[in-house]
Amino acid sequence: MIPTQGELLMPPEARRAFRGAAVAYAFAISTFVLLAVFIVIRQTRPFNLEAVLPYREDILNGFGRTIWVSVISLIGSTSLGFFFYLMSASRVRYFRAFTDVFTEIIYGTPLLVMIMIMAFVIGPAFGSTNRAVMGYVGLIVYITPYMTNIFKSAIASIGAEQYMAMDLFGFTPYQRYRYIIIPQVVRILMPPLMNNFSLIIKGSALLNVLSYRELFYEVTLMTNNNFRFVEGFLLMWGLYLLITIPLSQVTKWIDRRWGI
Amino acid sequence: MKIELNNLYHRYDVDVLRELTFTLEGYKSVAIIGVSGSGKSTLLRILSGLETPTGGTVSVNDHDVTAPAYRKSVGFVFQSHNLFPHLTLLENITLVLEKTRGRSKKEARDQACRFLTMLHLGDQVHKLPRNVSGGQAQRAAIARALSVDPEVIFLDEPTSALDPVLTYEVLSAIKELRELGMEFVLVSHVMSFVKEFADYVVFMHDGEIGEHGPPSILDNPQTQAMQDFMAKVP
Repeated sequence: MIPTQGELLMPPEARRAFRGAAVAYAFAISTFVLLAVFIVIRQTRPFNLEAVLPYREDILNGFGRTIWVSVISLIGSTSLGFFFYLMSASRVRYFRAFTDVFTEIIYGTPLLVMIMIMAFVIGPAFGSTNRAVMGYVGLIVYITPYMTNIFKSAIASIGAEQYMAMDLFGFTPYQRYRYIIIPQVVRILMPPLMNNFSLIIKGSALLNVLSYRELFYEVTLMTNNNFRFVEGFLLMWGLYLLITIPLSQVTKWIDRRWGI
Repeated sequence: MKIELNNLYHRYDVDVLRELTFTLEGYKSVAIIGVSGSGKSTLLRILSGLETPTGGTVSVNDHDVTAPAYRKSVGFVFQSHNLFPHLTLLENITLVLEKTRGRSKKEARDQACRFLTMLHLGDQVHKLPRNVSGGQAQRAAIARALSVDPEVIFLDEPTSALDPVLTYEVLSAIKELRELGMEFVLVSHVMSFVKEFADYVVFMHDGEIGEHGPPSILDNPQTQAMQDFMAKVP
């Protein structure tokens, strides 16, 4: 009598539209692949990916460090961002003003400048000359206000009328958070959180200026030795896209599947 | 149903309700009418225990409306459906029944399906509120209000967001429920429905009770305020 979720998922007209979109995407992706091939054969030197092979271990290690620093920064900036959210929602006016001023400063600062300032100015002032760590901190601090923002909008999206309904039915505070507020906040939070993760991954390339041996640094090091710029940079580009594109696809999927 | 207001007084920034004293007993469906800002929605929310009055005492069926237990014995249908957006129509009801009324999973599901089917939503139960029409969501909200076996159901302009066909469907469902012996207090702008549905009408004007009596008072308004009101509503 009552249809299951699966039966309701895809009516025939939706399936047709889906197939149409799949074909369009196949053509669009092919266009970019062809463009890449064209660019490669236009190079004066023959394309030889094997030249990269001797450096594969260094490059893979760099790739690993890029992911590592990004994950650390994600965790750090999410935690700090949540803390700043609590401050911005505080009754103490100073805390609210503090987060506003902090946000303005960060929004007005290029990430590269933030990283340099952290490593060469702020770090030493607090007795740290470990530039890699200060690089992490710079990245974390830079992303924090973006995280604060997504917490703000996710929590604000639960409107007063829902609290009225919770009052009416007499949900306990624990039940409100467990069954109504947190499940919604998590769903609203996931897509922008993943977007910020992508922002972090891309931003982490700048850590090479501190001689932090992440992907960009390792690839540049190789190209300085063997002059295989085309192979090296294309490989690097591909590796970044290898993380960021699946990430954005997963984000879209999450939003479709669980979005509200 | 028995409603007693004793010097009921309520204000936000301005006086919303001024010193209402009023007793009503023996009616099953009461309609509150009046222009926007007359205090009718506030009165409804105080009667349902959703809002605590600034002063005075209010009781419904001899229950003090400010007692915490009272709120669990009422159903309330909001102007907008107020469903939890991350839960399906079915889950919106089962969550309430399981967590706040201590029902088992199976009981909750059966009860939820029964009321959703009654409101013609049997084939929509697994959809999220965003994937059904506003009218369907509102009917699901009515099903949710009914599912807790309330003593009295309060409806705050429940059809103001619905098209005429759905309005008719919802209103006839409410009438069916009245036949089953349920008691209602309703704020509505649909006068034809008020005439047919209500056995007592309260006209609010400027924070006070203007006229009140059986639905026949709608055809023969005595005060200037109610004459003006009746001339404006369809």
